[in-house]
Amino acid sequence: MAAGQFSSAVSLSKNLEENLRILREALGSSNDVIIRDMKISSDSNVDTAVIYIDGLVDRGLLNHDILRPLMFNLQLIKDNLSHNHTSLIDYIKSSVLTVGQITVVQDIDIVISKVLTGHIAILAEGVTRALLIDAKGWETRRIEEPKNELSVRGSKESFTETLRTNTALLRRRIRDPRLTFESLQIGERSKTDVSIAYVKGITPESLIEEINQRLQRIDTDSILDVSYIEQFIEDSPSSLFPTVGSSERPDVVAARILEGRAAILLDGSPVALVVPFLFIEGFQNPDDYYARPFFATLIRWVRLLGYLLSIYLPGIFVSLKTFHPELFPTQLLISVAAAREGLPLPVVLEALLMLLLFEILREAGLRMPRSLGQAVSIVGALVIGQAAVSAGLVGAPMVIVIATTAIASFLVIPYAETGTLYRFIMTIAGGLLGLLGIALVSIEILSHLASLRSLGVAYLSPVTPLNIRGLRDTFIRAPLWAMDNRPASLDSPDTRRQSPGQMPRPPKTSFRQGDNQ
Amino acid sequence: MHLEKGKISNFQLSVLIIGFIFGASVIIAPGQGAGHDAWIAIALGLIEGLLIAWIFTALARHFKGKTLVEINSLVYGKFLGNFISILFIWYLFHLGALVLNNYSRFLKLELYPATPKILTLILIMLVCASSVRRGIEVLARCSLILVTLTVFVVIFDTLLVAPHMYLHNLLPVLEVPIGKLLWNSHATATFPFGDAVAFLMVLAFVNKPEKSRSAVFKGIVIAGLVLIIVAVRNAAVLGQMAAIYTYPSYITARVIDVGDVLTRVEVLVAVDLITMGFFKISVAYYGTVLGLAQVFNLRSYRPIILPIGILMVILALTNVSNTAEMFDFANKGYPIYTIPFQIAIPLITLLLAKLRKLPQTGGEQA
Amino acid sequence: MKRKHRLTIYLFILLVIIPVFISGCWDSIELNKLSIISGLGWDIDADTGQVTLTFQSIIPNEIKGAAGSNGSGGQRRGDPLHTIQLDSSTGSSAYDALNRYSQHSSRRTFYQHTQVYVFGHSAAQQGIYPFLDSISRNPINRPNVLMAVAEKNASDTLSVEDGMENIQAIGMAAEIKLSAEYSKYPSITFLEFANRLISKTTAPLAPMIGIIEQTAPKGDRVKKARINGTAVFNGDRMIGQLNEDESRGLLWAINKIKKGFLVIPGANLEIVSAKSIIVPELQGDKIMITIAIDEESNLLEYDGHREISSALLQDLEKDQAQEIESQVMAAVEKSRALNADVFGFGEAVHRRYKKEWPDLKARWEEIYPNIEVVVKVKTHVNEIGEIKKTMIKD
Repeated sequence: MAAGQFSSAVSLSKNLEENLRILREALGSSNDVIIRDMKISSDSNVDTAVIYIDGLVDRGLLNHDILRPLMFNLQLIKDNLSHNHTSLIDYIKSSVLTVGQITVVQDIDIVISKVLTGHIAILAEGVTRALLIDAKGWETRRIEEPKNELSVRGSKESFTETLRTNTALLRRRIRDPRLTFESLQIGERSKTDVSIAYVKGITPESLIEEINQRLQRIDTDSILDVSYIEQFIEDSPSSLFPTVGSSERPDVVAARILEGRAAILLDGSPVALVVPFLFIEGFQNPDDYYARPFFATLIRWVRLLGYLLSIYLPGIFVSLKTFHPELFPTQLLISVAAAREGLPLPVVLEALLMLLLFEILREAGLRMPRSLGQAVSIVGALVIGQAAVSAGLVGAPMVIVIATTAIASFLVIPYAETGTLYRFIMTIAGGLLGLLGIALVSIEILSHLASLRSLGVAYLSPVTPLNIRGLRDTFIRAPLWAMDNRPASLDSPDTRRQSPGQMPRPPKTSFRQGDNQ
Repeated sequence: MHLEKGKISNFQLSVLIIGFIFGASVIIAPGQGAGHDAWIAIALGLIEGLLIAWIFTALARHFKGKTLVEINSLVYGKFLGNFISILFIWYLFHLGALVLNNYSRFLKLELYPATPKILTLILIMLVCASSVRRGIEVLARCSLILVTLTVFVVIFDTLLVAPHMYLHNLLPVLEVPIGKLLWNSHATATFPFGDAVAFLMVLAFVNKPEKSRSAVFKGIVIAGLVLIIVAVRNAAVLGQMAAIYTYPSYITARVIDVGDVLTRVEVLVAVDLITMGFFKISVAYYGTVLGLAQVFNLRSYRPIILPIGILMVILALTNVSNTAEMFDFANKGYPIYTIPFQIAIPLITLLLAKLRKLPQTGGEQA
Repeated sequence: MKRKHRLTIYLFILLVIIPVFISGCWDSIELNKLSIISGLGWDIDADTGQVTLTFQSIIPNEIKGAAGSNGSGGQRRGDPLHTIQLDSSTGSSAYDALNRYSQHSSRRTFYQHTQVYVFGHSAAQQGIYPFLDSISRNPINRPNVLMAVAEKNASDTLSVEDGMENIQAIGMAAEIKLSAEYSKYPSITFLEFANRLISKTTAPLAPMIGIIEQTAPKGDRVKKARINGTAVFNGDRMIGQLNEDESRGLLWAINKIKKGFLVIPGANLEIVSAKSIIVPELQGDKIMITIAIDEESNLLEYDGHREISSALLQDLEKDQAQEIESQVMAAVEKSRALNADVFGFGEAVHRRYKKEWPDLKARWEEIYPNIEVVVKVKTHVNEIGEIKKTMIKD
């Protein structure tokens, strides 16, 4: 068991003062910890205390639905009071408080940890149990447009930092009763709420077990972001490629869950993890499914080729110039050679320098304050490029190559960082050993990809190991009415997702009078 | 069978075989000795190659799930069996070194005249070693992508060069004397088709062993057909120079010139070589390493991967003193040298196994 | 794997890889240290037997200069003669000359983009095989490089400026290809030459380039290179040449007619397409070759006064066929005179009669002049153009 525990599982005592003392010790003397004493019952002889943390709880609920009923229903309480005070708690729970979620607990530890997550605790003298009311009501960002995964036709909602909001976003899209959220708390000090979301019966049981196991193995101070979880549970931490997928869009996550995957949501993170994650998914985009199939297929190819271009172009260019000029068509060689006259740096260094420059511009553009960002990065890039060529530091063909590479690198977001790294490697390989270097590095990458697994599923499926049915959503995007089954790589127990043969056709006869021919 | 936990499907097996057979065929053009009748030599060689395949797949089917080393131990007893296995392993090892040698000479001639061969050899070996280390399953997964790529390149090349093909260059048919034709077809049967006997170390890991024979056949036939098409194409384009050029497929690609822009396509042929060469070497490498581990009862074959690789490189550097010798051996020596390994060992083992009524029912684990 | 082992392995790998980084790369080339050879010329001094190689190399800077400055009113091409540089080197053999050149050149020579090999007249007559052998053994050779023979010296031919293209050799290659396109003279690549050479019976060919003087619009005399014949070889020695008509006849026979013009009395036609087949027949010891030609053309110009009717067209077709036949026969006559099988009759017989061929091949030199050649031409005039009648009244 990893979730942080206090030293002992102490039960509440009958003595309210004793309980409050322990609570005060545990929670400290911060001024957002509120312990409000009250007396309830018309005889005013039952000491109670309401404990909460200001800022975490919904004040309206506290005042209106907890304090008010407690204080106004004194007569009722008295009437129902028996000499055994323990039933007081039950009575308050069942008939007095007008709130939705109430639990009854006996452990002080639970009280403490729940109060810290936005619950309100009610303790009474002579009662060894406490009431916990879920009253989360902190300030939070509202549902906004996704910043990184834009879609032209799809919904514009994205996850927020509140777990409950996110689960609600998923619920609204999957109204199947078998949509399940399994909760855990991870992180000794952060005690962050984690939810595993899946649809029972579609997702294989073994997957959920495996995810649970890996999550429970995490033993760390804090989980501040969902990417921490990713780094603790991924299959190949040393690989440059991600084996865990993520998305900030509820429609994407819902679609993935319905394919037989599971999502991991973290309180405090506007991004959800999705596992298993296959290589081909990096090239899939929600807009693919909302646009028409032929166009979507074309765009997929553009993405794929563009990504390959962004990795290989500088390397190939460098290797051709340095080792294999015979592979240029003659006129091109003349232009390139002409541009090369008088340049000081060897081609490899020139390329690496430009790539580095690009990375600097990109990163600086990201971190810069918004107001400066746009203008500086675009103009800066253009000016620097132009000036460098005029000054005779770099050749014009090189600038074009790098510029194309740069733009193409944004085509496939999940692999953008990996792409950058491999671009550098390819350029160095090309510069050191020409085409052979590039070919060997490529084979090595392929071999590496072929060996990766994401929670048991081969990373490169459905391309290899080959699964013809699964190819419907890889290089092409088959029309929706043709995608009758869930992706076969995911081993789902329930593979059919729609009835076959639903290709739409025009009606046999027109329903307008006079049109029947 | 704890040395290799992976499993491959029959489809992957076929693709692996295609890649393996393509192996060094870019370089040592099959059937070249038969001039423009090379395609006939390949076709005949294909048939003989299928016969060889029949024998060793029969052996593999007989002993489901066992590699050749294990089979030998069962049939001949530990001592003699290991001895025979070592011979076979030598064959695989030598094959790997031969392909490495072919590969590095081609690269040195066409693309890297000044770079010392040892460098290219070591780099290629390292990449192969890394894949062998990952196991046969990974090799099989890579195979589909790389083989598809190669086949596309061949198709692309052939289509582009079509305007330059003069089919009358293939006439007259059967001009080469019968003796030479048969010799060349036998040579083609042993290289590249017969080398598939190396898969006796791989067939053990197929997940449906009953269908593995047809998978092997499919692979050999498809590879053979492609090689025939390539031979026809090269002869049609290069005329009688096809028999003279050292690397005809490469030169054929040089002829392609579409609108002055789409030229220098021979680089794709070089890429083909690099990827398919990688395959052949890796499979031979894998067989060697796995076999040695089984013979010496090692816990895993990983520690010996690099040492074997280094030895392979050394052998590749030293086994021939010049390219002419390399071609000589390929055309004259190899067809004889391989008979014991490709035909004799599997055949005799099979017969002996049938005589001794092995394996006993109930199956044994090595 | 034990940690210690892993470390040693990594160390070992590093030791192997590091020298690659440190010692630099053996094969790496700096583009601006390359001398890209666009044309290669081979001459032999008749008296001394010394080989002179002429190297036409590209100066990329000049091209860059020209391309970069097109802001000022239209195109200004770099002065064509300055985009290339000519060098020559003399030695006792081709390779000797080559080696000497690379020794005193400041840049590494790069032959992979050579467009054309030009052989001087006297060199061609002495035999070009040594050059061919060394060139084809070297991987720098590409099968598509064009072969050409100079009327006099290869060096002169490579130095004549070409007004249109920025690289002279490219211009020359383009001209050879164009003349083949317009069915005037054949364009022969290295591969084709080599194949003809290997076949012991077929005669290798190469277009011949001569230098003529023209008066430019501005009045000064300008030299231009023009193709004006087809050189015929026996083995690797040049033994004669075909003139314009004979070259055209040759092209008719070997199925290399593409576009072009056909002039007959009173009309001018444009060739649309043509196909020819050589059919050999062996009767005992006698060889008969039938060349069947099938041609289609359009009417371009008609000087006569007749009505343009199908009868006229049929007559034109007859005239065409006659013209074609006479061109082919001219080529046949010349080839008989030179005893050179430029058409590939030998190979045609070989393909059909493989048993008899070895014997025939041995005696080919005696057999060839006695081969009976029959030409059968079928022509067809398709289009008559934009006007249906003549404008001149009779």
